[in-house]
Amino acid sequence: MNHKKTGEITIALAGQPNCGKSTIFNAVAGFRVNTGNFAGTTVSFTETQVHFEGQTFRLIDLPGTYSISSHDPAEKVARDFLLSGQADVVINVVDSSLLSRSLEFTLQLLEMNVPMVIALNMFDDAQKKGIEIDTRKLQELTGAEAYPVVAVRGIGIPELFRAVLKLTRGGFHPVPPVYDRDVEEDIQKLQENYPAALKTSLPIDPRFVIIRLLEMDKAFEQKAEEIDPDFSRLAAETRRRSAELHNWPEENVFSSHRHAIVLNLFEQVTRVRPRSRLAVAERLDRFLINPIGGFLGVMVLFLLMFSAAFGLGNFISELLEGPLVAGGNALGGFFSGIALVIVSGLYSGMVAGAGIVLPYLIPLLLMMAIFEDTGLLPRIAFMVDGILHRFGLHGKSVVPLILGYGCSVPALMATRNLENPRDRVRTMLIIPFIACSARTVIILALAGKYLGAFATTLIYLGNLAIALGVCFLLSRSGAKADPGIIMDVPRLRMPPGRIILKKVWLRLYEFLAFAWIVIIISSLALAFLSYLGIDQAINGTLAPLSSGVLRLPREIGITLFLGIFRKELTLIMLAQALGTSNISTLLSHTQILVLVVFTVLYIPCIATLSTLWKEGGWKLAAGSVLLNTTVAVVIAGAIAWTAVLL
Amino acid sequence: MTLVEIKEGNVAEIKKLSGGRSFIEKIQGFGLFVGSKVRLERKAPFRGPLLVEDIENDARIMIGRGMAAKVEVEVLESKKS
Repeated sequence: MNHKKTGEITIALAGQPNCGKSTIFNAVAGFRVNTGNFAGTTVSFTETQVHFEGQTFRLIDLPGTYSISSHDPAEKVARDFLLSGQADVVINVVDSSLLSRSLEFTLQLLEMNVPMVIALNMFDDAQKKGIEIDTRKLQELTGAEAYPVVAVRGIGIPELFRAVLKLTRGGFHPVPPVYDRDVEEDIQKLQENYPAALKTSLPIDPRFVIIRLLEMDKAFEQKAEEIDPDFSRLAAETRRRSAELHNWPEENVFSSHRHAIVLNLFEQVTRVRPRSRLAVAERLDRFLINPIGGFLGVMVLFLLMFSAAFGLGNFISELLEGPLVAGGNALGGFFSGIALVIVSGLYSGMVAGAGIVLPYLIPLLLMMAIFEDTGLLPRIAFMVDGILHRFGLHGKSVVPLILGYGCSVPALMATRNLENPRDRVRTMLIIPFIACSARTVIILALAGKYLGAFATTLIYLGNLAIALGVCFLLSRSGAKADPGIIMDVPRLRMPPGRIILKKVWLRLYEFLAFAWIVIIISSLALAFLSYLGIDQAINGTLAPLSSGVLRLPREIGITLFLGIFRKELTLIMLAQALGTSNISTLLSHTQILVLVVFTVLYIPCIATLSTLWKEGGWKLAAGSVLLNTTVAVVIAGAIAWTAVLL
Repeated sequence: MTLVEIKEGNVAEIKKLSGGRSFIEKIQGFGLFVGSKVRLERKAPFRGPLLVEDIENDARIMIGRGMAAKVEVEVLESKKS
């Protein structure tokens, strides 16, 4: 994201989580967006191009941050981006209904001295709460133009872009906060002693650097220590004396000064009237956070999700199957030889993608958007955090895990809600273990048919136990103390359908633009491999695993290999590989169990892998392959050999 | 007294944030400063988080017990429960 086209204006959306940044982003984004991670991190950003009044803008949605410290990876990344000067203008998105809290971040942005415009989002919510904001006064006291915005209805957005255009022609005069006299004297003194070497190595406003030092910001302290230890000591000494003077802990003496300014600013720009409450939403909410009502609500929501994933998904899937297979067969009538190989490879890749997108991805993405935008997500997290905590997970991991029963792809996308990279990586590693709908079909078709209902239930529960067990072990290995959960519980609200649909589309686009292409390419490769007749070679290569460790017929090797492309292929190809559709004549019950367990647990399918790669980098994808395969080999192997020894 | 120890329905004022730099940054990011007034709405089952109302901001926040144990408070209004 470093290249910058000439004439293009780069805008960064910055604000606290849940302030509606992404709603503004989605409202103006075209039908294409790019997502990626900041170099070397799992912190993701989204960008898009916007055309407005003849001008092209590059709009970057930065991760939501509460402040600009170095302690939180997402905050550090967002701050470094803003300081790098890559953004021409920053739009500070503010939740007007939480204005006083949001202003803490606004003041920090003012101190960074980047040209900015304030978007007073959720202006209508603030009014409902009885908060009247004097935008002109806010402009006067901050130096940044402020506009009322209701992003979900598109109100105020053109004004924002017009203000951005105006700012790019210059004329930004921020009014950064002025602290109490003793603090200002401290800053002044440090400014006089500011080392030239620090100025050259950190080409940003010295006042900002000094404030970061007074705020005990680790990254800046290290930098100062490295360049001029004397200055670093002076800053630390100044901070200590200030803390003693005010009788505050050193850690928050500076932020307390800023907080006082914020409270004062808030008082000057707002008038608060007694509010009128939204009775229905309030009552529903009271029910949902009640232990009984909450769990009841959680159960109902999960059931809804399950039925969407299964019922609807399988229904659509079956509807599509006939025509798609017929289409594939018809290809043989038009092409032959190598052309048929290419065309049918491309076709089956497209079908495989469509087989995920239409039945599973769309309903689940829809569900996910509803969970996020109505405010149900934090309420579910509230109810289940205590339980998940025992397994080293987070209350917010619950939605990805549930979505995982439908399809791993949207589940992995949903992990973006986890701000802490460690929680996110852990959740991403667990998702491929969960039996998605494709693997559930395998469990039902093999275990359900040959092993009975009891065994099937046991396999299903065992699968959950394995997923949670792996998670528990992962959390033991990462020995860092858990900082615990803290999150906003916004009011319940009904988001407009248009907003939800746009969100679903943008996420779907991400899948189509990356994972689908990977699937098509790998299907093409697969078509060539089978054209070249490498079935035998694959069976031979996999023999040590298939017949050695798992004690299955070696002909199964190819079906396991195909399962990597699409899990259902293992099932579909099984009859062909074994030469009979009645599998029980060739496989013992133990062998069927081993096959099911192995298929459910081993390497995630290509769509999952490419999503893992995209969301967390290739190392995470490789790690996931290794982890899944190891667990699958150990558990399935253990079952096979226990049976032999008994 | 810490936030974990007060009863559901009680209103308290934050007196001290006793944790390291990153804890303080995090909790202040959610608008909870020394001097803020909060109402403990509910404690989640299975030793889950606490649901707290930030009275000044009219906002609700869920805080894990580990973090809440580092928030020292003084009860202003107690409610029988």
